[in-house]
Amino acid sequence: MNVLPNEQELEVQEAVSLFLRTECKSALIRASEKEPAGYSKELWQKFSTLGWLTLCLPEEYGGQALPVTYLGLMFEELGRHIAPLPVHATMVSSLILSKYGSPVQRELLRRVATGALILSFSATGKSGGWSANAVSVKGRREGEEIVLTGSAYFVDYFSASEKSIISILIDGDSNGNEEAAAVLIDSASKGITVQQLHSMAKDNECVVSFDEVRIPASALIGKSGQGTEVVNDLQNYAAVFLAAQMQGAARQAMESAVSYVNNRDAFNQPIGSFQAIQHMAADMLNAADGTQLLTREAIWRLSQGLPANVEVSQAKSFANEKCLMVCRTTQQMFGGIGFIADSDINLWFRRVASWGLRCGTTYEHRARVASALLDSNDPVRLDVPLESMSPTHA
Amino acid sequence: MEFIFSVEEHELRTTIQSFIKEHLSEEIKRDLQETVVGQGYSAASLKFLGMIRDRGWSAVSWPKKYGGQERSKIAQFIVEEEFHRAAGLGVGGGGTGAPAILASGTEAQKQAFIPSSIKMDIVFCQGYSEPHCGTDLAGIRCRATRVGENYLINGQKIYTTNAQNSTHIFLMVRSDPQSRRHAGLSVLLVPMNLPGITIRPLWTIQHDPRAPSITTYAEPRTNEVFFDNVEVSVDSLLGEEGDGWRVAQRGLNLDRVGARRYLISVMRDEDIVNHLKTGDEFIQQKRRDPRVRDKVAELWIEAQVCRLMTMRSLSIEESGGNFTYEGSAEKIFAPEHGVRSTEAISQILGPYAQLLNGSPLAVNEGVFAHNLLGAFQSTVNHGSVQVMRDQVARKGLNMPKQKA
Repeated sequence: MNVLPNEQELEVQEAVSLFLRTECKSALIRASEKEPAGYSKELWQKFSTLGWLTLCLPEEYGGQALPVTYLGLMFEELGRHIAPLPVHATMVSSLILSKYGSPVQRELLRRVATGALILSFSATGKSGGWSANAVSVKGRREGEEIVLTGSAYFVDYFSASEKSIISILIDGDSNGNEEAAAVLIDSASKGITVQQLHSMAKDNECVVSFDEVRIPASALIGKSGQGTEVVNDLQNYAAVFLAAQMQGAARQAMESAVSYVNNRDAFNQPIGSFQAIQHMAADMLNAADGTQLLTREAIWRLSQGLPANVEVSQAKSFANEKCLMVCRTTQQMFGGIGFIADSDINLWFRRVASWGLRCGTTYEHRARVASALLDSNDPVRLDVPLESMSPTHA
Repeated sequence: MEFIFSVEEHELRTTIQSFIKEHLSEEIKRDLQETVVGQGYSAASLKFLGMIRDRGWSAVSWPKKYGGQERSKIAQFIVEEEFHRAAGLGVGGGGTGAPAILASGTEAQKQAFIPSSIKMDIVFCQGYSEPHCGTDLAGIRCRATRVGENYLINGQKIYTTNAQNSTHIFLMVRSDPQSRRHAGLSVLLVPMNLPGITIRPLWTIQHDPRAPSITTYAEPRTNEVFFDNVEVSVDSLLGEEGDGWRVAQRGLNLDRVGARRYLISVMRDEDIVNHLKTGDEFIQQKRRDPRVRDKVAELWIEAQVCRLMTMRSLSIEESGGNFTYEGSAEKIFAPEHGVRSTEAISQILGPYAQLLNGSPLAVNEGVFAHNLLGAFQSTVNHGSVQVMRDQVARKGLNMPKQKA
């Protein structure tokens, strides 16, 4: 048991941080917010040239094959610097291709490694719900083809991506049952229309509509019957890496706030010397640390191939509430200026507020934890992972 | 990063679990908790404690030289956790006294106190708080005056839990009458059987009726201790005269990292989940109630944060790092979680949760009512959560002190 990052992990994290500290200034972030693509092509170029995208890709495709814990630390830094890059969309998709993809699909990772290929993924339906069964793209088998209809909602960086993993419900067996599946498509396929959304984060989020889009059956990811597992994995990676990103952002917001109150004078002293302010700051630090610990544990379990549904949901639900609290308290500490568009501090607040609503809300993730806790009759113990219990429904 | 216990650590845990299963009878369990009046343990309990000692579990991390096992703090944590869970028993080698003596004592003091502490022939109670000073120890008035080769002690301590069962008190005194604040404080290791020492019980809100043993802060009794011209040899000074503040800080830091503080804050979350799984039809309705399910999951997630913060402290300790704010941070999150948890659980259970031990219709001997009465204690003692927040802000975030 050692929950602290080791030397090599810290080195990687520090190197990403140093790069972003130098290259990712607020002017660049603000410029990206006005770009339709929602990211900085120049920064993407530099970021990928340094090889950061290769960390956890397989060696055979030019990757470094490090455990995904490294990716988790990288996302903490991407969040800290709210880097306007499609790394989350691309890496979550890449991990899925890496784990479940056919040889042809995996071959694409070679281009991901160099930054030449941006990927995106969808896992949310019209209801906004975060569940494999709630997606609203349907797949209909026709011979060697699958025909897609319906829409994928809240898809990050779809319009910037060349290829995309779409979670769908496909007509399965002869009984007409639908099952979850994921397909890899060309984002520019005939019959696709894209509608750009405008979120608080001002990054890049789309609704993607499919009008009888024909794709080959070989676009399916994973073996037959594996669809639910693929989508579940995709959702876990997406949720937990977003939580890691939120934690990094919240931590940076907190540090900015502390630095501000330590220098802002009122009543003849820095307001940071008042307990009313200090006690808020202490709660912010605990909130960021709590999110960090939950997130790192979940990612560590994923890196070991252990069941992690519960741990991912713990991390994301906690992040949703606590990281927003941290950023909102930061706004409070900055006073009136936090409300002014030209002040930088709102960049963090707006993103964390948005990210907390993607990849599963607090209540959805708690429902998954509650189910693991209460829908089995086995007694629970806090230090024994719930998914090791027998799933006998009450 | 590794979020799992090693194979050896896991084996230690299962060894202790089977030991407990085999040797801890209900009778011993009851007897161990019945130490309120200081009558000592039964023969069966003493035998049980002897077996724990023979296996080296009463001093897991202490040096071999003094009879310890010199194993890791993680091993100590595992021992503490299993015995606390099984019988609310403080075994392992944490707590007041010996750890601070190991950190600050002379060789003679280590020889005199450590082996006897392992045998449980020596038991310490804590002599910090006074009627007018708690978390701010700088206000200490209990004084020790040097007279030849002795100190003459006069003053009063309060909230001296377990004084009635202790052989010694870890006593913070003002050794320099002219001094103010933290300067001029010293720690003395004082035998409790000296003439001039009077112990008076303070009965708590868990006394009548008596809280069941698994309650959060079940202690029915704490004490006031009075010192009236008590003479003690200068050999009983721990560390340097006037250096008591630092000696105590080292001791308190060692004390905050342990299984007990975390367990008393989170075991309620396990209790409510297990209760919902085993209760009658009314309880089963609650188990299906989305409001209850959401709240229980929320509590569970917070409890996991408590666990992970404790793992963080152990990790820092094991990798030889220095604590800055982490111990204080944990001492905010876990106790306050304990309060949120006990209060939410009683709202889930409704009016049944108000019933105390022995009442008709009481749930599990009234444990949920007694938990509610006890949980907030953890936010008060060993440094209030407000003072802990000051420390997190100052040490964790470098925020400035307020001007006078």
